[in-house]
Amino acid sequence: MEEKLKTIFSSFKGKEQELIPILQKVQDEYGYLSKPTMLEIAKFTRVPESQVYSVATFYGQFRFTPKGKKHVMVCRGTACHVRGAPRILGEVEKLIGIKVGETSPDLEYSLETVACIGACGLAPNMVVNDVTYGRLTNKKIHEIFGRKEKGKSDEK
Amino acid sequence: MKNKSRKIFICHGTGCISSGSLEIRKVIEEEIKKLKLKDVEIVPTGCHGFCQRGPIVIIEPEGIFYSELKPEDAKEIVHSHLKNNKPVERLFYPDPITGKSIPHYPDIDFYKKQQRVILQNCGHINPENIDHYLKVNGYKALKKALLNMKPKDIIDEIKKAGLRGRGGAGFPTGLKWELCHNASGSKKYMVCNADEGDPGAFMDRSILEADPHSVIEGLVIAGYAIGADEGYIYVRAEYPLAVKRFRIALQQAEERELLGKNIMGTGFNFKMNVMEGAGAFVCGEETALIASIEGRSGRPRPRPPFPVHSGLWGKPTTIDNVKTLANVPRIILNGAEWFSKIGTEKCTGTAVFALTGQVANIGLVEVAMGTPLRKIIYEVGGGIPNHKAFKAVQTGGPSGGCLPAHLLNLPVDFDSLTSAGSMMGSGGMVVMDEDTCIVDVARYFIDFTQKESCGECVPCRLGTKQMLDILTDISEGKGKLEDIDLLIELAEGVKMGSLCGLGKTAPNPVITTIKYFRDEYEAHIKYKRCPAVVCKEIISSPCQHTCPIDTEASTYIALIAEKRYKDAFDIILKDNPLPSVVARVCHHPCESKCQAGKWAEPISIRALKRFVTDYALENDLYPITKINSGRDLNANGKVAIIGAGPGGLTAGYYLAEMEYDVTIFEALETPGGALAACIPEYRLPRNILNKDIEHIKKSGVMIRTNTMVGKDISFNELIKNYKAIFIATGAFKSRKLRIANEDAQGVLDAMTFLKDINLHREVKIGNHVGIIGGGNAAVDAARCAKRIQGCETVIIYYRRTRVEMPAFKEEVDAALEEGIDIQFLTAPTKITVKNGKIIGIECIRMKLGDLDSSGRRRPIPIEGSEFTVDLDTLIVAIGQDPDLSFLGNHHGLEVSKYDTIVVSSETYATNREGIFAGGDVVTGANTVVDAMSAGKTAARMIDKYMREENISREYQLTRPSMYISPVELTEEEIEEAKRPEIPCLPLKERVYDYKEVDLNMSEETAIKEARRCLRCDLETEDAKKWLEQTQMTEVNRNG
Repeated sequence: MEEKLKTIFSSFKGKEQELIPILQKVQDEYGYLSKPTMLEIAKFTRVPESQVYSVATFYGQFRFTPKGKKHVMVCRGTACHVRGAPRILGEVEKLIGIKVGETSPDLEYSLETVACIGACGLAPNMVVNDVTYGRLTNKKIHEIFGRKEKGKSDEK
Repeated sequence: MKNKSRKIFICHGTGCISSGSLEIRKVIEEEIKKLKLKDVEIVPTGCHGFCQRGPIVIIEPEGIFYSELKPEDAKEIVHSHLKNNKPVERLFYPDPITGKSIPHYPDIDFYKKQQRVILQNCGHINPENIDHYLKVNGYKALKKALLNMKPKDIIDEIKKAGLRGRGGAGFPTGLKWELCHNASGSKKYMVCNADEGDPGAFMDRSILEADPHSVIEGLVIAGYAIGADEGYIYVRAEYPLAVKRFRIALQQAEERELLGKNIMGTGFNFKMNVMEGAGAFVCGEETALIASIEGRSGRPRPRPPFPVHSGLWGKPTTIDNVKTLANVPRIILNGAEWFSKIGTEKCTGTAVFALTGQVANIGLVEVAMGTPLRKIIYEVGGGIPNHKAFKAVQTGGPSGGCLPAHLLNLPVDFDSLTSAGSMMGSGGMVVMDEDTCIVDVARYFIDFTQKESCGECVPCRLGTKQMLDILTDISEGKGKLEDIDLLIELAEGVKMGSLCGLGKTAPNPVITTIKYFRDEYEAHIKYKRCPAVVCKEIISSPCQHTCPIDTEASTYIALIAEKRYKDAFDIILKDNPLPSVVARVCHHPCESKCQAGKWAEPISIRALKRFVTDYALENDLYPITKINSGRDLNANGKVAIIGAGPGGLTAGYYLAEMEYDVTIFEALETPGGALAACIPEYRLPRNILNKDIEHIKKSGVMIRTNTMVGKDISFNELIKNYKAIFIATGAFKSRKLRIANEDAQGVLDAMTFLKDINLHREVKIGNHVGIIGGGNAAVDAARCAKRIQGCETVIIYYRRTRVEMPAFKEEVDAALEEGIDIQFLTAPTKITVKNGKIIGIECIRMKLGDLDSSGRRRPIPIEGSEFTVDLDTLIVAIGQDPDLSFLGNHHGLEVSKYDTIVVSSETYATNREGIFAGGDVVTGANTVVDAMSAGKTAARMIDKYMREENISREYQLTRPSMYISPVELTEEEIEEAKRPEIPCLPLKERVYDYKEVDLNMSEETAIKEARRCLRCDLETEDAKKWLEQTQMTEVNRNG
């Protein structure tokens, strides 16, 4: 068993009632619940594997595919389209290094497009976790993702 | 000199943090250090409940309230207020109704009109410092309970107080405790339900973040009362800050022996566990919550047995909401009698609401139970912003219902709301205005509960899905009338067949919206309309959907962006036979619903239309030969139209196009109706009007001017000689003031005055003109009077405020620019005359009274405020009614008490066969395009009548006739995008002149503005399919 998992388990007693807090801690650590970890959790809590899966899939908080710490949703409604969403999307993909539907290997970012977030007057829009960014420009995107704008010197 | 000793309370609630309160704190700390200020303490607090105004800072001892601060503001506060004792006035809170600055928070209506009992400490103490809580009588109730009271005494006290569960169901808390206390078994549990799953509710979050100890104290007292030695708090995972603060509070309480073993040395043990929810709304239901704590999926189970007898792990368990527990220490400390005096007999104490939506003050509101909804929304909430009309208030979250305006006097308590079909719920209160679609709201809530349904009960699992599908169909224009009753049937099934509160209450939003807003459902289903202009599949673009004559604004705007001006003109002409006129005088309802206007400025839809029609005039693009030339006029039958105004002209045009023999009878010497006789030339040049009338004539319609029905030809003769008649005589009879001397010389009515001016007849007025009224007629009369040689002053007197003036905003602005004075809240009481001529008026000032049943403030006269004005001319413009005398006696038509002709709202048919009516003669004074809309539809109905077909309407979803690819703006364009200023004639050229005031925009401006359009027409599924195909074709073409 993975060291990280062992550490998490060490703060619990292994009782059935601890199942949800354990799932929460494991997801906090790995970003999602993988099959192998769920099997380990089943062993540790002595809860049947099917029940672990049943409980985990019942609650909306749990993910079974990795999602980045920063989940980026670029809006592709018409208003955003007219105001340059395709261009914005391309820039975002370049900056965080992944394409739509992917998660970065370091689990920092995941990217998807959404139909319309309803902030059309601020188009083009993007949502990162819970924060909405409107009136996006190349400059703003670079600021949001913490990279310096291409071509500018790294020195002050 | 030493600075004053002060405390700075900086809100560290989730809301304020997200709007930057931590940066504010940093700046304040830095500046204090820089200025070396002493005796200034920073107190981080929890949520005030006024998150919309965050970041919030309160400075004591003055009690100054600063809101919406930016870092620069924080710096100024330290320098000016803290150091120089000068509070920063520009940062005071502005009252949303009056606009006045209010420096002290107890004076702010949002706080003043509340009764903050359990929210008392929120925002005023540091939640991470137990000593703050202790200083405000913290844990004194626990001491009293443990040292002076027995469990039974506590239960009796809570029962006497009448406390009812604040989680939503309102079950008597004392009774619940008693049942648990009496249950057999030595192991019992006390649980706090902090799941707060209702979207839009954040009361529990705020209390946990701002005053966690009040909940802990309540828990321990409750535990003691029921005989539990262990407790849980179940907090939803989405509240990380609340969890953090609560854990810190638990630790501090334990350190002071207020929790844990041997509390206060009494031997009573009570330990607390924190359980974080994992994202399931159903876990707010008590048996589901229990299952979740036990580590299982949160599915409810049948009751009995109730948790008080068999709960967590089969042991007796009491589950109470955060707010219920926060009330407990106060009841124990102040006594049941104190508590029961607040609120009503059956619902004692206060209620806490999260007031959100379309209301000026968004935040947490605590008021006594029994407070009327109206008071909460208008006095605490500050009413509906942007002068929008109130539509509904939703209480109880997804379990509640939408209540309409006529129920605004309902007192807020468990029972009244339930009997109206809603419920108190956990306390969400969402205010909705005219721009909210009630069908969309119902669908939104069912979408939520359907997703959150645990699946255990088939009626809930499948029933909510079915209801969602039906509601989605209705919002997409695919609904059937039977759907409404089907929804009710399903709703009843879901309610009856569900085990838990989720299923039992999920249908409530649907049931109440159907009960109170059935006509809105019917609009979607039958008329294919979304009155709030929200449902995308029905409306396509809001501009086209709102336009009374269905003009495809987004299409012609897209064509302008592509420089295809002729095509743009064809699109306009297709639905509008008076294009140049409308481009100048339309009140552009499209712009009021323009999506671009939601966050920025609406697109200049009307000015863009004018750009196209002016281009068409300059380049001779009006059709030359008529499509139907050379046809046999007598083939299909004769139709008579009375009145050549916009309604009559439009009806005549379309009927002639359909090859009917149409004659329009016009009493005046020139066609146009209000276009010729009311609207002045500086707004509508007559050569423009004539061009459009020429276009109409090309259809073959005959216009007989100088022919007045009732004088030159009788109504009965028309009936004899024409198969169908369309009455479109408008409303030109001026209303009277009904005060003495109204027939004195120099007192004119606006309609006659405007007609004489516009038809170039002789007009004599004096030098000092007064106008009574606030509509377009008043403003037109004023601007015309100002243009008459010799006229010195023109003053408009209006009895209400600027905001309520019915005249178009641009007209009022122009009038003010042209030097016309407008006296608001003023009404005339007397006309003074000398030798039969007016020499002046006496007026009285008005003030806005209390809110009436529609939420408006009626003007009431201010006693003793009378004053006189010297005038030699008074023009009365207080409204117009139709004049039906031309019909003669025994016309047999149904007429309303306002002298309007009564017609079917769908077909414009009167009660007499073959006779139709539309425009102002039916509605009273209204707009040009509304009259045209009536004419357009009436023509179709008359056509059906002439063919002896069933006179009925067909309704279609709004769609453009063609799709055009969207543009892609450059970054520069996006940054600079804004609504252009329309050029107008400089003031000095307007003096004594009727030259057109509004000018055309340049081609460059037009294209830029057209490119700013958000192309809402491309949001439908049809459009998206077209876009996909076009893009595929492009790809194929480009290889």
